[in-house]
Amino acid sequence: MPRVKLSEFRAKTIVNNYMGNPYSGFPFDAGRDPISKIDNAVVQGKTYVAKVDQGIKKRFKQGLVKLDLKNPTDIVDAIAEIRKKHFEYFLVEEYVPHDNNDEKYISLERTRKGIIINYSHQGGVDIESHSDEVGRILYKDSSDAHKVAGALGVEPEGFVEKLIELFDINYFSFLEINPLVVSLKKPYMLDIAAEVDSAAEFFVDTWSSNDFRNSRTGVLTEEEKNVHKLSEKSSSSLTLTVLNPNGAIFMLLSGGGVSLALADEVANLGKGDLLANYGEYSGNPTEEETYIYTKNLLSLLIKSNAPQKVLIIGGGVANFTDVRVTFRGIIHAMTEVMPELQRQNVKVFVRRGGPHQDEGLKDMEDYLSYNKIEGSVHGPKLVVSEIVAKALESIAIDN
Amino acid sequence: MFDVEKIIKADRKVILIGSYPAIIQSILDFEYMSGHKAPSIVGVVATGRKIERYFFGKKEIAIPVFKSFKDVPDKVKHEVTFFLNVVSGRRVFSSTVEAIDNLPKLIGGVIFAENTPEKHALDLAEICETKGIFLAGPASVGILIPGIFKLGAIGGVEYKQLVDAKLSIRGNVAVFSASGGTTNELINILAQNGKKISFALHFGGDRFPITTPLEAFMAAENDPDTTHLVYFGELGGVDEYAVCEAIQTGKLTKPIIAYIAGNVAEIFPESPQFGHAKAMAKTQKETARAKRDAMKAAGVQVGESFKEFVELMHRIPSRETREDRGAIIEKMDDRRHALISTSVSKDEGGKATVLGEDLLSFSKNNSFGYIVASLFLGKKIKSKELEEFVSFVLKLLVDHGPYVSGAVNTIITSRAGRDLVSSLASGILTIGPRFGGAINQAAANWLDGASSGKTPQEFVEEYAKKKIYISGIGHRKYRSDMPDPRVSEIVSYTKELDAKYTNFAKSVEKVTVSKKGNLILNVDGAIACVMLDILSEKEGYSEEQLKELVDIEFFNALFVLSRSVGFISHFLDQKRLDEGLFRLGEEDVADASSQNE
Repeated sequence: MPRVKLSEFRAKTIVNNYMGNPYSGFPFDAGRDPISKIDNAVVQGKTYVAKVDQGIKKRFKQGLVKLDLKNPTDIVDAIAEIRKKHFEYFLVEEYVPHDNNDEKYISLERTRKGIIINYSHQGGVDIESHSDEVGRILYKDSSDAHKVAGALGVEPEGFVEKLIELFDINYFSFLEINPLVVSLKKPYMLDIAAEVDSAAEFFVDTWSSNDFRNSRTGVLTEEEKNVHKLSEKSSSSLTLTVLNPNGAIFMLLSGGGVSLALADEVANLGKGDLLANYGEYSGNPTEEETYIYTKNLLSLLIKSNAPQKVLIIGGGVANFTDVRVTFRGIIHAMTEVMPELQRQNVKVFVRRGGPHQDEGLKDMEDYLSYNKIEGSVHGPKLVVSEIVAKALESIAIDN
Repeated sequence: MFDVEKIIKADRKVILIGSYPAIIQSILDFEYMSGHKAPSIVGVVATGRKIERYFFGKKEIAIPVFKSFKDVPDKVKHEVTFFLNVVSGRRVFSSTVEAIDNLPKLIGGVIFAENTPEKHALDLAEICETKGIFLAGPASVGILIPGIFKLGAIGGVEYKQLVDAKLSIRGNVAVFSASGGTTNELINILAQNGKKISFALHFGGDRFPITTPLEAFMAAENDPDTTHLVYFGELGGVDEYAVCEAIQTGKLTKPIIAYIAGNVAEIFPESPQFGHAKAMAKTQKETARAKRDAMKAAGVQVGESFKEFVELMHRIPSRETREDRGAIIEKMDDRRHALISTSVSKDEGGKATVLGEDLLSFSKNNSFGYIVASLFLGKKIKSKELEEFVSFVLKLLVDHGPYVSGAVNTIITSRAGRDLVSSLASGILTIGPRFGGAINQAAANWLDGASSGKTPQEFVEEYAKKKIYISGIGHRKYRSDMPDPRVSEIVSYTKELDAKYTNFAKSVEKVTVSKKGNLILNVDGAIACVMLDILSEKEGYSEEQLKELVDIEFFNALFVLSRSVGFISHFLDQKRLDEGLFRLGEEDVADASSQNE
């Protein structure tokens, strides 16, 4: 799952440490940290900023940043207020008053050709409204750094080079500093947004998967968290995202590409609002892993209050994921909740191919018909996206 | 650079980096079905066993496994033209660089693992460019040229899948995809509609596939057999725009049918991460819709839905392919792995062979020393020196009087009325660390001493500190002033050699003799060092291979064989003399009970 958002706390720590200025802000996990953490960290006489640290864009405009907090009580109150909007992770740091005209913009992005720098002498929250002022340069050597530094008016020497270096050695894929305040003695990075390559966790000691942030962190369902945990421990890939907890169409899909094409098909047929989830398993998961994955998906399905529900077990013709083995896992999970599936009259539509498809499809067909579950089971002869139309038709008739 | 013609014309020899048995077997099945005479896979670089067993058709074959590239013979390194890397994402970069450095004839490879850091993929792309090789992936199920080449899981891992997808005959449609499952789905859709593919390539679902869509499409453009291109892309990344530019500038002229998945992202408030690493649109340009529109504008036939995409594929004219070579389709369900494997001898169809040669001619034309040395080493020996030395040692070790423990046991057993085999076994079972088994330990000592760079003094001190005897040193009767005549005879076999091991053994003897006169190089120690020298200088054994011979007790084998002659002769002798049951008298047993008080 490569590009992921790093917490601003971690990003600032990495960048400031590399520049030789230790960072004094601190993270606050509202669900876990005691309030005394704030009391202990705050220095009397200084003023503070508290803001959401979950990779959210345009925080200021959404009221997710509180400025000029003068004591721990102010900070606690500010966090409590923002927390009502279902956010869990916060960053508290010193408030640095400055002139808006000194706000600059710089971002780095890893592309196929190399690292691209975007920069503007006019930064700040309205950066998008003057995007024609943004310069873009493919970084080749320090002459490019001089050019960028000159345009932004940053001192000291080497600031841009250092950014490039730390970007590279920490396996960043994106780093945005906005605003970058240059009027102070040293460049001051007010807000940082960073993405790292999660595949590189093994190669760095400056960040870890604990630092990844997601705007949905506060609203993830137990089922999504379970699948995430399962995936972390597996050599296969297993993902699950809830789109609509009360959706009617539940998808148990395999394969990154085909799963996307099937989800597209739901949207193409104008039923995107009925789609309950997106997710997929691939890379030949074991029977046990497929069982746990399905169990979590079915738990969501059973909780949905849609009047009529359908489960699509869909996938292309796998190269190496064993259909018989993965279907055994699925059947195991279905068996545990079969009475409930029957009671809710859940329909099941299956389309799959791959190693041991004949055995796997037969097992599934026998199982569904034995349990009197409506729907149909298909092999590769059915065009894969057609399973969506069949499934949707079955709900349309009943509704 | 990915070049189909180059792959077709190449002498395709494949090495695996890491092992994935199901994929390896599927490649062999594909090659067998396509009528290839021999498998393309020449080795596996992985830990574990020394061979892996597979089937080529119904016949079982062994593929050698090397612990690292260091252990891959030069001959193999120089013939390998492709690799398939199946190690985990974190090891992809280091193992791929190592492979590229070790394989001078390399044309290209496939990287299978997911979770390779982007930076590593980009660094590998740069290396490919300098070296003029191609890499598909990371996270690629591989490349496939029907009837010719399958490198990866692509097309399936079960032989039935290969049959169903008609992968032994080459056609005219090139298939490309960002998704492995979809690659196979497209191959199957085409096969079901009577169309055949010219080749297929899976880019992998990472953000920066090393072989880009543009490079792969250009390979299709340059391939005379390809008339149409089919492409399944996804949201995320901007590689499609380079393709559009190539079409607009007239570099790409063949018709392309495409689908870009990921419209569903529009119903999410913020584009989520879908199944593949790259499947996330951060900018407008990376959305499925933007890429579809750009491709359409460039003249690509883009399906609005997957169904429409499939219908567009149906419209590709089926072209008569060249002569159907007739795939070999046999039921493979009854294949069974052999219970044992061997490299020594065979007896097939009434014809016995030893080391690949007819038993009769092998025994008629060779000396006993040659046969023993060859069989013990598992391959025909090259040197006269080894043949002569083994012949001599076999004669020399044949017997050493009735006093030694193995002979005593044989004699006692024989006198107890037991048969030949029991008596011989009782003698042989006596052979061990204190009797007869010292040659192997001596070989281990000389090998360690001569290669570790220790001085003979340090070597001797080490043993003294640990309070253990040095195997190969010391004799009950002979002393430095009364040398063992057998030892000088044994050592004379190194006259023409550099004799690294023998020299080391002799310098150790100098040190030990200065401590005590009977601590001389003995027969066991001398045989061990001379054998090491001959094997290393005349038979080309590396230190690593010599260590392996120690591990498998090769050096004791000569003693066991030769001394069996002595034991048998004592057995027969006792039977002829008919001495009756052996029993000790009271005076033969000392009272040791006071020791225990």
